[in-house]
Amino acid sequence: MADLIYLDNAATTFPKPDVVHDAVHEFYQNYGVNPGRTGCDLAIHAEQVIHGTRKKFSAFFNRSLVEAGKEKDPNRLVFTLNATMSLNLIINGMVGPGDHIVTTLVEHNSVIRPVNHKVKDGAEATYVVPDGEGYVDPEEIRKAIKKNTTLVVVNHASNVTGVVQDIKAIGAVCAAKGVPFAVDTAQSAGVLPIDMAECGIHFLSFTGHKGLFGPTGTGGICVADDAEIRGTVYGGTGVRSAHPYHLEEYPYRLEAGTLNLAGIAGLSAGLDWVVDRGLDEIHSHEIDLTAKLQNGLSEIKGVKIWGTRNLERRVATMSMTVANYDAGDVGTILDVDYGILTRTGLHCAPLIHEHHGSVPRGTVRFSIGPFNTEEHVDAAVKAVAEIAADRPA
Amino acid sequence: MQVGDVAVEFDKDGFMLEPALWDDAIASAIAQDEGIDEMSEDHWKIVNFIREYWKEHDLAPPVRLICQTCGVSVRQIYKLFTAGPARGACRVAGLPKPDGCV
Repeated sequence: MADLIYLDNAATTFPKPDVVHDAVHEFYQNYGVNPGRTGCDLAIHAEQVIHGTRKKFSAFFNRSLVEAGKEKDPNRLVFTLNATMSLNLIINGMVGPGDHIVTTLVEHNSVIRPVNHKVKDGAEATYVVPDGEGYVDPEEIRKAIKKNTTLVVVNHASNVTGVVQDIKAIGAVCAAKGVPFAVDTAQSAGVLPIDMAECGIHFLSFTGHKGLFGPTGTGGICVADDAEIRGTVYGGTGVRSAHPYHLEEYPYRLEAGTLNLAGIAGLSAGLDWVVDRGLDEIHSHEIDLTAKLQNGLSEIKGVKIWGTRNLERRVATMSMTVANYDAGDVGTILDVDYGILTRTGLHCAPLIHEHHGSVPRGTVRFSIGPFNTEEHVDAAVKAVAEIAADRPA
Repeated sequence: MQVGDVAVEFDKDGFMLEPALWDDAIASAIAQDEGIDEMSEDHWKIVNFIREYWKEHDLAPPVRLICQTCGVSVRQIYKLFTAGPARGACRVAGLPKPDGCV
């Protein structure tokens, strides 16, 4: 088998930088205890790492506030286990029976399924339809908002085609209508700069193990200082144990139980690595390789690229199919014969596949990361050309 | 499908409902249905390995293992069995429909 070529970074980035491994190791080696309000030195150290990470992420997602010398409450940066849990907390905390939620066909099941459960429980939902390339017109969001709309939730970057939505314009629509705005940054955090204040974002959901290079089992929500949300998970907080109900104050309002402490230590190191390398540098490296991949695949007879070919408003994720092949079969051949790892199927985003017409078997998804090289892209294009040639279109 | 004296029944995806009935004649008949006029040595090598693995593990073998054991690439399997290892080779080997997800 050829050396492994990992082109599945939209599922999780791999490999992780050494500094991330080191931070997780150091946590368990030197201070791996549960913080809470206790006085021992190790617990204080652990708490400092957790709180420091809250501050770091609060600043990362609120650059304009920091530059203006304004405070952003770090306790409103709450940790979760992943983007799915973050989005469930946001949707469950903002939408009840009789309420209306606006979202889009571009969403991942981490939004679609909780929204559908809300509808089952008496809420209403509108799925805004994007254009043929997958871009959502902010005007369509405006039209979809109703008197009982309590949340607009939009995917920033698609995990299927890489399209990036104009969250600044959508945020302006939400602000004008007075509706809270949530953004799913699972595919964009750590790759594109996101400024909550500039985009009018009330709830920013992120995952740790993709563009932020943290370990799996990390993620969170950054809640704007003027946003309100109900807590919907209850349990231990490590403080005020005699209180019969879950605490209203942040971060406890949206956190219950022991956090993934080692994961958060690794996530903190991952963010440092991203910031040191620079978002612009990461993004432009990935987009240069995406352009090369797109050009190479476009030359192959029988290959179809789904969704946008725009290189300006996208992340480095691309979906394709090969004529006369099931997408899953192409993925298997790439994996076993060429050592190239991709992701096939519907990618937990069935509605956008339906919209583009790539149902029921889906596509082969290539997603590029900072550790990929031109040689990786060349190998992928060559492999697809050979596969396509076996079954001419 | 009638193969000699045996009436072979299939599920909606074309996989045998009673895998225990399988024999070489039934394999050849399913292969013809798959567009394979005559089973070659390479066809039998793959089908027999799948069959043996399934009898031992009650599962279809991983594609990588088929390739390693039979000395073929996945591309070659697709040339031999147009529908591929799961929907082609496993069907000829008389397995029930392998699990898979999208």
